Amino acid sequence: MSGDVARTLSQDDVATLRHDLRTPVNHIVGYCELLLEDADGDGYADRRARLQGSLRAVREALDMINSSLAPGGRDVTQNDIDALYERLREPQARITELMSGILEPREAHDDAGFVEDVGRIRHATEQLVAVQRPAAVVHTEIASSGVNRNADAIPAARGTILIVDDEINNRSVLERHLNRQGYDVTCAGDGESALAEVRGSSYDVVLLDVQMPGMDGHEVLQRMKHDVTSRDIPVVMISATDDLSTIAACIEAGADDFLPKPFDPVILRARVSACIEKKRLRDLEVDYLRQVELVAEAATAVEGGTYEAGSLARVAERGDALGRLARVFDSMAAGVKAREQRLQDHVADLRREMDEARRHVTESSEDQHADEGALIPGEMFANRYQIVRVVGRGGMGMVYKARDRELAEDVAIKTLRGNGMTDDPTVLERFKTEIRLARRISHRNVVRTHDLGEHDGAYYVTMEYVEGITVRDLIDMRGHLSVPSTLGIAQQLAASLEVAHEQGVIHRDIKPQNMLLDPDGVLKVMDFGIARLAQHTSTLTQAGMVIGTPAYMAPEQLLAEEVDARSDLYAAGVVLYECLTGALPFEGTSPIALIAKVLHTVPSSPSTRNAEVPLPLSGLVMRLLDKEPAARPGSARELRELLAEVG
Amino acid sequence: MQRVLLVEDNEMNRDMLSRRLRKKGFEVDMALDGAQGVKMALSGAYDIVLMDMSLPVIDGWEATRQLRAAPETRNVPIIALTAHAMAGDRDKAMDAGCSDYDTKPVEIDRLLLKMNTLLASR
Repeated sequence: MSGDVARTLSQDDVATLRHDLRTPVNHIVGYCELLLEDADGDGYADRRARLQGSLRAVREALDMINSSLAPGGRDVTQNDIDALYERLREPQARITELMSGILEPREAHDDAGFVEDVGRIRHATEQLVAVQRPAAVVHTEIASSGVNRNADAIPAARGTILIVDDEINNRSVLERHLNRQGYDVTCAGDGESALAEVRGSSYDVVLLDVQMPGMDGHEVLQRMKHDVTSRDIPVVMISATDDLSTIAACIEAGADDFLPKPFDPVILRARVSACIEKKRLRDLEVDYLRQVELVAEAATAVEGGTYEAGSLARVAERGDALGRLARVFDSMAAGVKAREQRLQDHVADLRREMDEARRHVTESSEDQHADEGALIPGEMFANRYQIVRVVGRGGMGMVYKARDRELAEDVAIKTLRGNGMTDDPTVLERFKTEIRLARRISHRNVVRTHDLGEHDGAYYVTMEYVEGITVRDLIDMRGHLSVPSTLGIAQQLAASLEVAHEQGVIHRDIKPQNMLLDPDGVLKVMDFGIARLAQHTSTLTQAGMVIGTPAYMAPEQLLAEEVDARSDLYAAGVVLYECLTGALPFEGTSPIALIAKVLHTVPSSPSTRNAEVPLPLSGLVMRLLDKEPAARPGSARELRELLAEVG
Repeated sequence: MQRVLLVEDNEMNRDMLSRRLRKKGFEVDMALDGAQGVKMALSGAYDIVLMDMSLPVIDGWEATRQLRAAPETRNVPIIALTAHAMAGDRDKAMDAGCSDYDTKPVEIDRLLLKMNTLLASR
């Protein structure tokens, strides 16, 4: 205990003591009142009297505490405290006596709850005068240099503070004040040890004396602000001088505030808590931004196909909008991933089916019988392309594999029948426009169109060369395809149509012959932009000549009405029907008979022709084949989503 | 039945007050620190919160500020309870967003009057 009995206690000390004394008082009052409420009835007269006596005594004690330690009242000295403790002994003794007699009647012991509560009152009564007085608080001795962590730190500290001051008394006073306010305090006696302490630690505030021997506060501040591990810790400068220019220099160098010596406890408390609040908000902001970054990284991972479900779990725990975003994002990403996985499974099935088909077919693709007027392997075409071989023959012309000598890569060349292909400059211009649009389509499921050229009066289109087989070949080899293989084709076809339609390109001639499968099972749709020409070439009117086949054409296309994206969806429906059943939905002995059926009859559904076709998929194909464009799915994107649902 | 959340770290205070409130017909749940108090109150299950101010983890003032910031608890009455009885305590509690304030030792009738007034005005 301090020998200085006239020492005045600080307001903080008084408040702490008042709190510590009122707590047991509170317990005594509360339990006495509780037991009084239960002590109703004639048999409890003695119990009631004792409890009422205790209540009177404890209220006297409360009055003593309030009058001696009034908030905002006169100065309190150690003498006053000693006197208060002496006075409290009287009501304390009275309560102890009253409570010791309350358990006298034997029956009182039968009520365990009652005995327990009396025990609590007795315990609180003992606490009343056992409360530690402020002067008895043990103070940690601090070394003149180096760092000494206060062993009395309050477990759930309000913040951690480093005090840097070469004066032991200054450190000690500050430390005690801050400890009282619930902070975890560490002290350093010089600049070097302060810097060593802040590095790698997470202090909430540093209180830094300006004038110190050796490294002064100004230099410590500068070094802290140059170090990434310490530059975000708020610093409050402590200055005994009224040297405003020093303080201004410190603030300019990054100090958050300053505290003049001798300091006022109220100002100390206010500035420290303001700094801690500021740091808390900044930490929250940093944390928030880091979590926003995590969400952005997750978006990149989804694009790159490397997103792991649940990687946003920590962000998703937040109760705010960012947390909601993370939760929604995670579940959407999981959905996308599951969908991609299904597509991959379907494509794997497709690849197996392609391998199977190849094993059962003799090498007939090398049949290279000469076509009249066809280019010969080895021949140069348009001074740039060396013909390798014929890879296809279509209504509009021949398709060759050729070597582009300028770019040293393989291309496919499609020649468009030269003889009087078109004389109409408007039609030709529209065709060129469409080819230009088609060239912009860059998608893994679309054969890339390179160029439109003219050679010897005939037009040709060069395209990406894809080694593979057409869906036509695959159906012919297999009879019909399995449901997963068909879904693999359907998903990829829908994806290619989606991207083309978004660019304003309608295919107009979707059919298995125009759909290539590379060895990995990746579908490549070709001839985007080319079919438009077919509708306008004079060859259409040539006797016995039919461009394409009406079997894949939508009713509105056959009737030369307005054609839009939904006409391609109809054709996709025919292709899927054929994949699933090995047959066309409509067949006729002549083109006219076929057209009549397309326009007027409803085909039997795929599931009636092949029992393995699930009803939802069969229903979707039938929707695609609807004669009314409005009854079909509205877009390729919608088709893709519907396919994801059925597959 | 009105549901009360009592946020109090002192075991005896919790025991005492919860028993007295239950006797008066309240349903009482208890939280042991400010953070637990906030978490429980945010469930929206309580009609009124009795908040001790000197609490571990986060103190009663901060807990009150957080509850006032959340839409679920913005309008739930909060009565601050403190043994400090400092001159500025009442203002500090009201500034933090408490609806009313009472000092310990608790006078049960006074507290009930405050609680009932706040509950009636909801």
